[in-house]
Amino acid sequence: MKAFKYLSPTTVEEAIAFHDQHSETAKYIGGGTDVIVKVKEGWLEPDYLISLKKIGEMSELHKNDATGELSIGAMVTHATLEKSLMIQNEYPIIYDAVSNIGSLQVRNVGTIGGNLINAVPSADGAIPLIALDGIALLHGPDGERSCEVKDLFIAPYKTILKPREILKKITIPPQAPHTGSAYIKFGRRAAMELPLIGIGVLLSLGDDLQTCTRARICLGVAAPTPMRAFNAENLLVGKKIDKKILIEAGKIAANESKVRDSVRGKAWHRKEMIRVQVRRMGLKCLEIIKNNS
Amino acid sequence: MSKNNSEFSVVGKRIPKLDAAQKAMGRAEYIQDIKIPGMLYGKILYSKYASAKIIKIDISKAMALPGVHVVLTGEDVPKKMKMGFYKDNPPIKKDKVCSFRDEVAAVAAISPEIAKKALDLIEIEYEEQIGIFDPEKAMEKDAPLVHEHTKSNVLKLPWNIHYGDVEKAEKESAFVVEDRFTTTGVTHCCMGTSGALALFDATENLTVYTNTQIPSLAQKDFLETLKILGLENKRVRVIKPIIGGGFGSKLDTYAYEHIAILLAYKCRKPVKIVFDRVEEFKATSTRQPTVTYIRQGCDKNGKLTFRDIRMILDNGAYTSWGATTPTVMMMPISSLYRVKNIRYNAKCVYTNNTYSQAMRGYGNPQATFAIESNIDMLAEKAGIDPIEFRRINQNVPNETTPQGFKITTCGLAECINEVEKELKSGIAKEKGVGVGMASLIHVGGGARIYKSDGCGAILKMDDYGKVDIFTGGTDMGQGMDNITAQIVAEELGLLAEDINVVHSDTDICPWDVGAHASRSTFVAGNAALGAAKKVKQKIQEFASKLFDVPAEEIKFKNKLVFVPGDQEKSMPIDKLLRKAHFSKNGTMLMADYFYDPDNESFGKDFKCNLSATYTFGVHGVKVNVDEETGKVEVLDYIAAHDVGQAINPLLLEGQVYGGVLMGLGYALTEEVVQKNGENMNANFRDYKLFTAKDAVNIKAPVFETADEAGPFGAKGIGEPGCVPTAPAVANAIYDAVGVRIKDLPITPEKVLAALKEKNG
Ligand SMILES: Cc1cc2nc3c(=O)[nH]c(=O)nc-3n(C[C@H](O)[C@H](O)[C@H](O)COP(=O)(O)OP(=O)(O)OC[C@H]3O[C@@H](n4cnc5c(N)ncnc54)[C@H](O)[C@@H]3O)c2cc1C
Repeated sequence: MKAFKYLSPTTVEEAIAFHDQHSETAKYIGGGTDVIVKVKEGWLEPDYLISLKKIGEMSELHKNDATGELSIGAMVTHATLEKSLMIQNEYPIIYDAVSNIGSLQVRNVGTIGGNLINAVPSADGAIPLIALDGIALLHGPDGERSCEVKDLFIAPYKTILKPREILKKITIPPQAPHTGSAYIKFGRRAAMELPLIGIGVLLSLGDDLQTCTRARICLGVAAPTPMRAFNAENLLVGKKIDKKILIEAGKIAANESKVRDSVRGKAWHRKEMIRVQVRRMGLKCLEIIKNNS
Repeated sequence: MSKNNSEFSVVGKRIPKLDAAQKAMGRAEYIQDIKIPGMLYGKILYSKYASAKIIKIDISKAMALPGVHVVLTGEDVPKKMKMGFYKDNPPIKKDKVCSFRDEVAAVAAISPEIAKKALDLIEIEYEEQIGIFDPEKAMEKDAPLVHEHTKSNVLKLPWNIHYGDVEKAEKESAFVVEDRFTTTGVTHCCMGTSGALALFDATENLTVYTNTQIPSLAQKDFLETLKILGLENKRVRVIKPIIGGGFGSKLDTYAYEHIAILLAYKCRKPVKIVFDRVEEFKATSTRQPTVTYIRQGCDKNGKLTFRDIRMILDNGAYTSWGATTPTVMMMPISSLYRVKNIRYNAKCVYTNNTYSQAMRGYGNPQATFAIESNIDMLAEKAGIDPIEFRRINQNVPNETTPQGFKITTCGLAECINEVEKELKSGIAKEKGVGVGMASLIHVGGGARIYKSDGCGAILKMDDYGKVDIFTGGTDMGQGMDNITAQIVAEELGLLAEDINVVHSDTDICPWDVGAHASRSTFVAGNAALGAAKKVKQKIQEFASKLFDVPAEEIKFKNKLVFVPGDQEKSMPIDKLLRKAHFSKNGTMLMADYFYDPDNESFGKDFKCNLSATYTFGVHGVKVNVDEETGKVEVLDYIAAHDVGQAINPLLLEGQVYGGVLMGLGYALTEEVVQKNGENMNANFRDYKLFTAKDAVNIKAPVFETADEAGPFGAKGIGEPGCVPTAPAVANAIYDAVGVRIKDLPITPEKVLAALKEKNG
């Protein structure tokens, strides 16, 4: 492993300035559960690691009760999300995803921002944030900008972030009433497992508690980047939701996916899992809505 | 010998592992921790191809790198230097590579980083050749030869038995079933990675620190290496650091050990080689992948009539002890259940895959997977409940099997009953839920696969009532140290903590054939017991004069030496030892003992009584199969064993739990994925070892049949835990959803594909 210097700025501006100073040889580090693995294995050889840990605002998890907007600092750890009662109760899809990442040790240090910016197709944290229409707030040398979380990803390990840009936080707009959401990571083990396929579903129903007003079907490991199954979503919106239509949505989502064979799993099986789990997660959403109303 | 557990003071007690605190606090010294002044770091360069000619090697740039002391290639290795029992594996390959794991060069440098950099500077020109990776294809006539000097990829090994008359028995059978089963290569996943440190003293005697399960045989291999280097009449000392797991992986000597010796010899400095995790996955061996064709038959009452098995083993590119696993497979094939007519033929076949080796169970899990899956199929065909079917055919005490194994104690019937109780105790059958079982037989009293199956022990007592015992046995985490201490303490009326077990150094410890075949408790235990008995007798003789009573009346308990019923005639043992020591013509109490069990090596047709006693067990499992995803969830597990006597139930359960989890990984998730000979999952992310969260609820009842031959009645239990796990799971899946998976591991893909096929 190549030796590196570890810098601990306390503001976003300072972090960017450090990065400016050391340009190509510097790299941001959150919890380090992706970065350090890469440094150890020689894929990355930074001279400087700029830690974002001491930037207080980036570790804040906060829900604005007046607006209903949720704000998740990029440095919020999976464990913090997992343990938050607010997340458990109001954003079950986030809880489902982060509580099954790696192991307790990984969740204690790994951050939601790092999970997004690392940008692997299997990032568990990305799916719920896409399903919840999350907005990523970026801060770079030229100031701030924002984009939808779903538009962050270009290719495996590649995001739209410009050099030196920092992901500051993710905001989740207020959820409609009668919304349910759920995520499942389908893998072979109960822990330390990258998903063979990740399936997140969010459904909002109208006041009749039947008609779908919003549907999100988000898939991990189904394409080079986390993806939304728009055709399946479109099928559901405006319709009365029952098991039958969810079965149909599962089929469409499976067909929309761009799953591939790999050492880890076969494409046909991944497709099957999308088909089955879209239905199951959809039913789970209905269950959640029923229980909350 | 049969004694009630309450009569024991130390044996049968749940005493935590003696080195647990040391390990938990990070004080245990593994090979990774050992440093010697002036030590260099060795690293090995592996092949880039599964099969290729080496055209040219240029080491000049590597040699020029500051900090590099030596670079070795195949040119530097004497031609006669070959490893493995088939002697087909040079520690560094010269003109040709036959697998990705082939060593092509090695470096010693002042730091691991420089050594690694030097490897990158070695330039090798290869000419790639066509490889062969499927053992069945490798047997075909025009298959490319892995080793050109052989006429065929099939190894010349005599694995053939035929007892009784299989053909006749088949004709007379009411029901016959046949099928093909396959198993894949899994690997040991020791938490402590491999490593060795070699150093020569000024007169060229060699010391090797190494993770080994065979210190005495390793010493012999290293002496051979010295001899080939022209160093006749030198000494070799093997020191075992604390070992972080063995499971059979350390039953041979390996290239990294011989390379460390060669490097140390060449640069006249100590050289240490330690594997990183990727190397541990890529450059250590797997269990033998097998293809098994099995036929079994029974009469109309369900009595087994014959068993006929043909097996093909993927040997990989070189030959280690793995190629001898068919000898152990013969045990369940000939002797699990009562079957008179037995035929077995096994072929070990060279391929360009990584070479396979011994692994917990030594072939038994592969054979038992085929036998016990097939038994359920036969029971179904005969219309008999699988538990009843096994009961009809169960082994019984005091019977000789067709191979000549003399079964003495046998608790198989009790184990079947216990598992039946557990499996039938569940509520009404839910959809997707099923139960399955499988039995096992394993050697429980050593196994004479080497000329001697012995183990030596030397015992000395000090002036304070403490014991040092120097044993040939090896602790690699399994608890040989505790067992030895508890046996000696029981015999001498001491506490386990009074016994210091030294098992780390061939300069100090006597010979032992190795920690294999579940033999340590039985063989090393008997050796320790023998030494303790001799010392006990000496103490009795001394006390007999002191107390003026016949020696046999002297008893030992709670650190006292006493005559029961006579309060005057009692003395703390330490006082007595001092009396013996500091009197005129004083004496120190010491004894040695060499125990070699009363078992036999293979005779004609492989007939013999291989082990002094046999361990039996039955595993039962309840699973839930998700019919839409193919995912199998293990709900409950019971592993019942006849262990003779549990010397330490805590450690025994640990062996069973660990074995079962290893077996479940074998059944469901684990596989070294090789694509054209290349390891595709050399990390714990993609090699699906069970995690703590995957661990299942395991009940581990033991039956104590108190075997005459065992120390305090004990039999071996190291390996059985992972032997019948896979077939029990496969049988449970069949019971749950009606599909039989014949290829390990049983992945969701395989289950779902089978379900789709069944349901059309
Ligand atoms: C054993 C193990 C198991 C794992 N299991 C899972 C799993 O089950 N599911 C899963 O999804 N992941 C898993 N991971 C991957 C990893 O833990 C997660 O992706 C984690 O969320 C990464 O966060 P981090 O803070 O550690 O990122 P880091 O390693 O610190 O950073 C990751 C990348 O993001 C960049 N970065 C980090 N923060 C910012 C920011 N605020 N702005 C701009 N760039 C930033 C870094 O420069 C780097 O390129 C596992 C990792 C390990 C080691």
